[in-house]
Amino acid sequence: MSRLRRDWWGKSSAGVFGGLGLALALAGLVAWLTPGGPAATNKFQLIMWLVSPLWLGVLSLCFLFPSGASAWRWLGGANLLAFAALAACRHFLA
Amino acid sequence: MRSDIIRLYKSVHTWTGILTGLALFIAFYAGALTVFEGPLERWLSTPPREASTPLDKAGELIEKTLAARPDASKEFYLYLEDDDRVRLAWEKRTVRTVPDNAPWTAHLEEDGQLALVQRHPSHMAQFIDSLHRTAGIPGDGEIGEHFMGVVSVLYAVALVSGLIVVLPSLVKDFLALRLGKNLKRFWLDAHNLVGVVSLPFHLVMAMTAVVFAFHDHLYDLEDKLVYGGQLRAIMKASNPLAGLKPDPHPATMVSPRQVLDKVRDLEPGFRPLILHYRDGGTGSAVIRVLGEDPRYLLRGKGFLWMEGRSGEILSTDYFPGRQGSWNTVVSSIFALHFASYGGDTVRWSYFFLGLAGAFLFYSGNLLWLETRRRQEKHHGPAVAQSRASRVMAALTVSISLGCVAGISLSLAAGKILSGKVNDINAWHQGIYYAFFLGAVAWAYIRGAARSAPQLLAAASLATAAIPMSSLVVGDSALAGVDAVAATASLALAWMAHRTAHRGKRGPGDSVWAVAPHETKQH
Repeated sequence: MSRLRRDWWGKSSAGVFGGLGLALALAGLVAWLTPGGPAATNKFQLIMWLVSPLWLGVLSLCFLFPSGASAWRWLGGANLLAFAALAACRHFLA
Repeated sequence: MRSDIIRLYKSVHTWTGILTGLALFIAFYAGALTVFEGPLERWLSTPPREASTPLDKAGELIEKTLAARPDASKEFYLYLEDDDRVRLAWEKRTVRTVPDNAPWTAHLEEDGQLALVQRHPSHMAQFIDSLHRTAGIPGDGEIGEHFMGVVSVLYAVALVSGLIVVLPSLVKDFLALRLGKNLKRFWLDAHNLVGVVSLPFHLVMAMTAVVFAFHDHLYDLEDKLVYGGQLRAIMKASNPLAGLKPDPHPATMVSPRQVLDKVRDLEPGFRPLILHYRDGGTGSAVIRVLGEDPRYLLRGKGFLWMEGRSGEILSTDYFPGRQGSWNTVVSSIFALHFASYGGDTVRWSYFFLGLAGAFLFYSGNLLWLETRRRQEKHHGPAVAQSRASRVMAALTVSISLGCVAGISLSLAAGKILSGKVNDINAWHQGIYYAFFLGAVAWAYIRGAARSAPQLLAAASLATAAIPMSSLVVGDSALAGVDAVAATASLALAWMAHRTAHRGKRGPGDSVWAVAPHETKQH
């Protein structure tokens, strides 16, 4: 088993910023891909609420990454994918 | 689970816990009290209470009030009392949403004459709510709320990390509460037990608090990233009142009795509490009927919007049982934070969960202190604790007890001073902060060991002042508040006694020892 590096700053920053970005993108995907689209009546409230558990979940678990660099790689990659998907939604589904 | 993960998460838990524990103590203690904000508000409004008018005369009351005071038309409230009576009140607002804290009330005398009275109610109940949202950090509320938002983010991490740490031993140790010479073991068991049992409650609080603090920023980010700048338009489209055309011409409205009949026909299980009028008496008058329905999870009070002239129902988006799928989910989340479901049983449960939460944070700090205790050697010289430990101990007792005593004293003072001073709300805040900051200074100067029993005794006396103030004023309404306060006062007195005992006779190598002394052999 490889050792778990502490990397407090690396992991926390990935969790805070990478986690927030990922949460926003995933919530956005929910907005676009669920019935009614982003403009459905009152749906925008729930979409905003989703960001909280998603972000806090990623932030809490980010210390499980083997290292800060690894955390940034994974979360950075996830962010790129999620935002790309979101951009596609906004372009093709608008 | 791997031991290096546990070790890492133990550090995470310790740091996030230490940084947020005391702020969260205030939030949870004040939050527990806020569950009963309504009853506290009523307790604070000493006699003579506002006069009420029979419901059947409410239409006449509204007409006469609007004739005498047209400025009330913009926004006024009809509060529904028991036995079919109503109270009418409105506030002048210099800016749309900022009330001037001096509401006017109107009622009809026996002979039908309109009587208008301006009141200056105590806002202590709302101040307790604001303490719970800001931990008392001064500023316009935004600073405090943002600070508590950050605290809540760390708090969520503290919860998950605590769960990870306790998971391996969960089955074996969960219900154990090992009393004995090892104090740390006892505090650890108590901390774990309370934490695990109330984990769902805490997760909800952390998650919702983050949203309450940061929702504006989240909406702004999403506007750019998700909605392509369309979010304001989407919000407006979701507002049932957005499409209404203003019509200032005078027009008769349906009577309150008719409004309530209509609501009862729609949903007999809904209990209306307040009729909120906007642009009353005009062609574009709208009425919001707010109330309770314990069968549903509601966002505070559930409500519907009705057209004032015709009584036609405009929107049931936030009405129990008719919320639409998105609103139902969001209202449920709100309800889980505000205890606005399930009636009194849920309210009392949240009250005790709130107090248990305060205990959780207090015990967490105690654990930190016990872990860092410098052990005395058998028959060795007296051991003094580290500076960090002494400061943490002083802060722990003073912030928690300063908050408890400050709130109690301020409540009691509010009851006695009501109607006797110009700006009662300045008194509330002054008394709270004076006592709170005084307690922090006192504990720092005297040390935790000496000041803890003194602060506990002060908290006990301050809390006893609550039922005393009711006696002084001669008010027996809402005895529940007095009964709870009396019980709490006794509990605090017992704690003061036990703490004083520990100071003298407990282990000498502790921040709680009155003077570094050799532990007396029992």
